[in-house]
This record gives sequence, C-alpha cells and structure tokens, in this order.
Amino acid sequence: MEDKELLEKFANPDSRNLAFNQLIRKYQQKIYWHIRKMVIDHDDADDLTQEVFIKVWKNLENFRQDAQLYTWIYRIATNECLTFLSSKRKKFFLPLNDVAAELTEKIDSSPDIGGDEIQLKLQKALLRLPDKQRLVFNMKYYDELKYEEISAILGTSVGALKASYHLAVKKIEEFIKQD
Amino acid sequence: MTKINKDIKLSDIPRHNVYQVPEKYFDRLPMQIMERTAGAGYTPAPWYVAALKPLRLALAPLVLLLVVGVVYFTQLKDQPEQQVVNLATVTDTDIVDYLSTYAVLESTDLAELTSLSDQEMTAEFLNVSSKAAEEELEYYQLNTIDY
Repeated sequence: MEDKELLEKFANPDSRNLAFNQLIRKYQQKIYWHIRKMVIDHDDADDLTQEVFIKVWKNLENFRQDAQLYTWIYRIATNECLTFLSSKRKKFFLPLNDVAAELTEKIDSSPDIGGDEIQLKLQKALLRLPDKQRLVFNMKYYDELKYEEISAILGTSVGALKASYHLAVKKIEEFIKQD
Repeated sequence: MTKINKDIKLSDIPRHNVYQVPEKYFDRLPMQIMERTAGAGYTPAPWYVAALKPLRLALAPLVLLLVVGVVYFTQLKDQPEQQVVNLATVTDTDIVDYLSTYAVLESTDLAELTSLSDQEMTAEFLNVSSKAAEEELEYYQLNTIDY
C-alpha cells in the first residue's frame, strides 16, 4: 500500500488501527535493522523500535506531507538511537571508547550475532566510528539509501555526507588491515 | 589470514547481516506495538482545532499588539489621575513651604505681584499682608536691577 493511501486511511477514525498496523508491517524491518546496527543488542533494539512506532502513532496526524513518510520515520528512529547511546554514556559515566568496548563485547558473546571472522571484524570496526558517522555508513552501505535521502533524514548536506562516508570507509579498511 | 587482511577492501566483504532476531519476532512486533498504542490513548483533535491551526500564527502578533495597546492606554489614563490624587493629599502649608524654599522667584512673578498691589489679597493666600509685600518690593528696587 502506498504511503499516501496509508495516511488517508489513518486520518479516518474507522480505519486508523488497520492503517497503522499496515504501516508497522511495511516499515518495521527497515527501522528495526537500522536501530539494531546502532545499539547492537536485540532487547535494546526491540524497545527502541516500539518507541519509534509509538511516537509515529502519536505524531502522524502532525506529519507534513512535504517530506516522505519513511524519511520522517527514519529520522525519529535515528534520534531515538542517538539519544539512547548518549544517555547510556551519561548514565554510566562511560566515555565513547568504553561504550564501543561494551558493544564489541556483545558482538563476541551474543548468541544472536553470527557470521564469519571478517564480517564480525567489520562490525567491530564500525563501533570505532563516532555515532553519526556510523549512522551515515549504515544508511549508505547497508540500507543503500541515496545521499539525498540521508541528507533529508539527518539534515546534513550531501557534500558533508559524502566526505563522512569516504572517511568512514578509510577508517574501517585501516582497522581491518590491523593484526 | 594476515596477508588477506592486509590487502582487503570493504568491497571485498560480502554484505551479510550478522545479527539475528528471535523466531517470528516480526510477526509478533506489530501486535505488541498496537497493544501499546491502545494504552497510549490516541485522541484525535476536534475539527475546529485543525481549522484554527493556520490562524494561530496570524493571531499571535495581533493579540500581542492588542495587549501592548491596552497596557499603554491604561497607563496613560491612570497617570494624570494619580497626579491629581497625589496633589490633593498635600496640605496648603506644605505647598507654601515648598514654594518658599525651592521655587525660584523671577521678575515676571514680581511684576505680576505689582499689578495685584491695588487688590487686597487675603493673608491666607499670600501668607503676607499687602503692605509687607509692597515693602519687600521696594527693598529689591526693581528698576535698578539689571536683567
């Protein structure tokens, strides 16, 4: 179902629940994986995904249709991730590297993370990047979004995003070449 | 292994998702969220809220202007009344004391007083008799004072 049709159905009280259910089914995987790659842990990703859709439910009425719906939902998810990681650092007085170390430990120990050595090393390399640069990398490399789309989500210029992505690739390749 | 790592590029790594979710997680997730939305209690805004929404921005400066105008005119109106009230509370004695202490006597005042010399001003008003006033004026010898 097209987003426009979903929004029209959502505006009608009789079909609101049905429309929102369809909206969740349409976007849940994209949003979940977007969050999961940032927070690594499934339970955290599950909580945040639910929070994102609750916020969508509460604010969909105010959604201005000059932006695309998925861009808007991605932006909510991105903000949730950044807030979560930031509060995690503040809560435990952890510097950037310690949060990265904690998440790296999860990659090594979590039963629901698998893959060969090089793929796991790539995930650990990603955790060395600053949060926003990791977001840009994930959206470009895994979600295969266009720079223009990422720009609409993050509110950053396309030029800055290109520079950030290429720098991220360079850092990742350098990390993988180590050892 | 080490040699492979030294030559490897990002493009050589397959884009495989290393993360997994519990079985049927995405089948259950919509239901869990829908249950929470029922608790979140969606209350749609009444029609008039939506209709008035575009007017809010336009009304804000108008209301502000109205408030500023009302405050300004209220203060303007209150100010003279307040002065009248304040003056009314001052006794005649205090006014005379103030004038005799602080008021600067000018030639026009004296000239006016001279023109009134043929009228018998009450002692209550001037606080001096007309004779005493005349004597005072003669003492200053107005004609000889160079202005």
